[in-house]
Amino acid sequence: MGLVPFILKKLLRMAALLIALCILSFWLVSYSPLDPVQAYVGADMTRVSSEQSEMIAEYWGLNKPPLERFLHWGSAVLHGDLGTSMIFRRPVAEVIGERFMASLALMSTAWLLSGVLGFALGAVAGMKQGTWADRLIKWYCFTLASTPAFWLGLLLVMVFAVWLGWFPVGLGVPAGKLADDVTLANRIYHLILPALTLSILGVANVALHTRQKLVDVLASDYILFARARGEKGLQLFWRHGLRNVALPAVTIQFASISELIGGTVLAEQVFSYPGLGQATVQAGLRSDVPLLLGIVIFSALLVFVGNLAADIIYRVVDPRIRKGESA
Amino acid sequence: MLGKWYAKPIAAIMAMVLLLAAGCAPDKNQGTGAEAEKKKDELILATGYEPEDGFDPTTGWGRYGSPLFQSTLLKRDKDLKIVNDLATGYEVSDDGLVWTVKLRSDVKFSDGQPLTADDVAYTYDTASKSGSVIDLTVLKSVEAVDPFTVKFTLVHPQSTFVNILVATGIVPKHAHGEDYAKKPIGSGPYKLVQWDAGQQLIVEANPEYYGPKSAFKKLTFLFLKEDAAYAAAKAGEVDMAFVLPNAAKQQVPGMHLVTVNSVDNRGILFPVVKAGGATKDGAPVGNDVTADIAIRKAINIAIDRKKLVEGIFDGFGTPAYSVADGMPWWNPDTVIEDTDFDQAGKILAEAGWKDADGDGILEKGSLKAEFTLVYQADDQSRQSLAIAAADMIRPLGINIKVVGGSWDDIARMMHSNAVLFGWGSYDPLEMYNLYSSKTAGIGWYNTGFYANPAVDEYMEKALKATTEEEALGYWKKAQWDGKTGFSAKGDAPWAWLVNRQHLYLVRDGLDIGQPKIQPHGHGWPITDNIVEWSWKK
Repeated sequence: MGLVPFILKKLLRMAALLIALCILSFWLVSYSPLDPVQAYVGADMTRVSSEQSEMIAEYWGLNKPPLERFLHWGSAVLHGDLGTSMIFRRPVAEVIGERFMASLALMSTAWLLSGVLGFALGAVAGMKQGTWADRLIKWYCFTLASTPAFWLGLLLVMVFAVWLGWFPVGLGVPAGKLADDVTLANRIYHLILPALTLSILGVANVALHTRQKLVDVLASDYILFARARGEKGLQLFWRHGLRNVALPAVTIQFASISELIGGTVLAEQVFSYPGLGQATVQAGLRSDVPLLLGIVIFSALLVFVGNLAADIIYRVVDPRIRKGESA
Repeated sequence: MLGKWYAKPIAAIMAMVLLLAAGCAPDKNQGTGAEAEKKKDELILATGYEPEDGFDPTTGWGRYGSPLFQSTLLKRDKDLKIVNDLATGYEVSDDGLVWTVKLRSDVKFSDGQPLTADDVAYTYDTASKSGSVIDLTVLKSVEAVDPFTVKFTLVHPQSTFVNILVATGIVPKHAHGEDYAKKPIGSGPYKLVQWDAGQQLIVEANPEYYGPKSAFKKLTFLFLKEDAAYAAAKAGEVDMAFVLPNAAKQQVPGMHLVTVNSVDNRGILFPVVKAGGATKDGAPVGNDVTADIAIRKAINIAIDRKKLVEGIFDGFGTPAYSVADGMPWWNPDTVIEDTDFDQAGKILAEAGWKDADGDGILEKGSLKAEFTLVYQADDQSRQSLAIAAADMIRPLGINIKVVGGSWDDIARMMHSNAVLFGWGSYDPLEMYNLYSSKTAGIGWYNTGFYANPAVDEYMEKALKATTEEEALGYWKKAQWDGKTGFSAKGDAPWAWLVNRQHLYLVRDGLDIGQPKIQPHGHGWPITDNIVEWSWKK
């Protein structure tokens, strides 16, 4: 199959997936025990009369039956309108766009960090199987893999922000600094702890899989043959190991985008970092249905694009997949 | 061993991380001494959650604490008395329906335009249509009579309308567009400089402000949760932080703890009618045990409120005797002697409750003295309160079964079971809503179907009163007039337990004046007197 029909088929699947996802999420949300009006009013229920509650429900169209609301919402979405967020009182697309831009730096840094670091550690461990370096890396990975991200985040805040004072306790920019005065260094400085926390989840995964694959590869006949020819160390890895061990790493790395989105929710909570994760929590807790559904669609798209990218990269990296399918 | 091929890249990465850390670190203000010296005219505060929908009073901004950017017609002084702000005075017609407010003529918005009656009318008109937490269902119409006179016409007399005039900031008609919530313009003490959504709000003093000048040129509000605010305080990054009781026990160098009393209260509601009824939605109404006034009174008298405060809120609270302790409309006669088991036992015995079968639980005929108390399951302090109260009452021979539930569960159970609720507001309308026979079974109000014609009459009179003083007198009588009332001395439809205290860590040397009793909700209310804050000389 050529690349174009391959992508077309994928896009068709994506459309079907999104439609199913919308129906399912809307159905689930409509069974949520949270009353959206009450979630919106919150502590003000001491002053908001039942007439006003009805007015709020009417204003936001919450007094209509779920099916009607879904059809209304669905047709608006098809026209490119994701609706208005109840808690932000702004268009959902605008809120998601703004929040995603803030999350993007965090997510991509963490993602790259976990990919590069994980792959490097895995490769080292694999090449040096059984040595102290291998044991150290394995120990490190097992520890990370069994550590909840939010707990680690809290630990980092306590040690590096509160005790040592090396890093800020939270936020994405220095307190009280005007936007024009905020430098790139400021932003990176505020990014380090949350990005580190977020990347940790991926590092262990990628490293351990890469290591295992490399161990398998090194036990193969062609490596034996290469060694017999005198190849060793970096040269051996570069010529015969890299491409072979890249596949599991690529798979895990791109599949981890979904975990990354889940992870940002926690990391942003711990570090008060203003991103999509925070908005998700607020939307969920306060029953802001349009925003919640908007985020669901958006993150589904993101995960889908990640998987698609992995599929395409397979074809580039591994000639067997490319040729095997077209045959 | 590290002299291998992989040593170089690893060393390079480590060097890079260290460089980054070192290169960025000097940006941070080190040393609190020098820091305080430098920013005498600036404050960084972590005292509240972010208002996600922005800074537009017509959708609810500023109803707690200071609206910062806008000002209100009236305000409450530190003794909670109503005083003029934008208004120079107000009059209520004899039938209580028409409110006429005169405005100051010297007020300008921060963009230099004058504030007139048109802006006031526009603000209230817009707010009433916004479908938000601002409840203006009582407002029939509002009009500008002349440039500095506004006339409000109500649907029915409501003296508590004055609280709306206290809580609603005035927006400029000429500059109230789509973006207003993000870029507010108003006549308040501060101007917005920058809002980083999800992170912080930076404001500076508004030179056009007609009131006393703020001692600070610039304020930064960080939107952190209580635990993050505490961490920021420990790291020396903020001048003020709101904290929870568990964190408040620890010392933070350079800061001291300020405790502020509140009417953020918790209490037990009892259904006061006998079982058998049902609401429109089919939820059962009434409970035979709590319908007996002896049970409700005995619980009120036997509870050790001080112990609850000590045990559950680490001492950061006060005993609660009514829904409005310390408010101007509160009747101090509602305070009762509690922890009195002898008296409670006597009341129960006189009402015919005795333990005939010796199982430790009282009976009256075939009725056992036990009922269910439901609380909001995800609130740990409510759970602790419910369990502790039940344990305290058990020796009396009353068995309270404690059950947690979602608000949805509570909505189904609240008419036929006791409920642990939290209320507390700057508006006596809340009292009406909780105790009037007219609100029985409506929403979350008066879920116990309490009704007392004398109380109803006092409260109706309070609503129809045309002056604040007159209204306050009636509100107090509704609680206890010497013979009857809705307090624990009277019909005791509730057992109020505790008022929480709100806790703030404040930088040593910062004078935040005398904060007034705060309503339900931790955080923004502390900004109420923010223009009075200053460094101690």
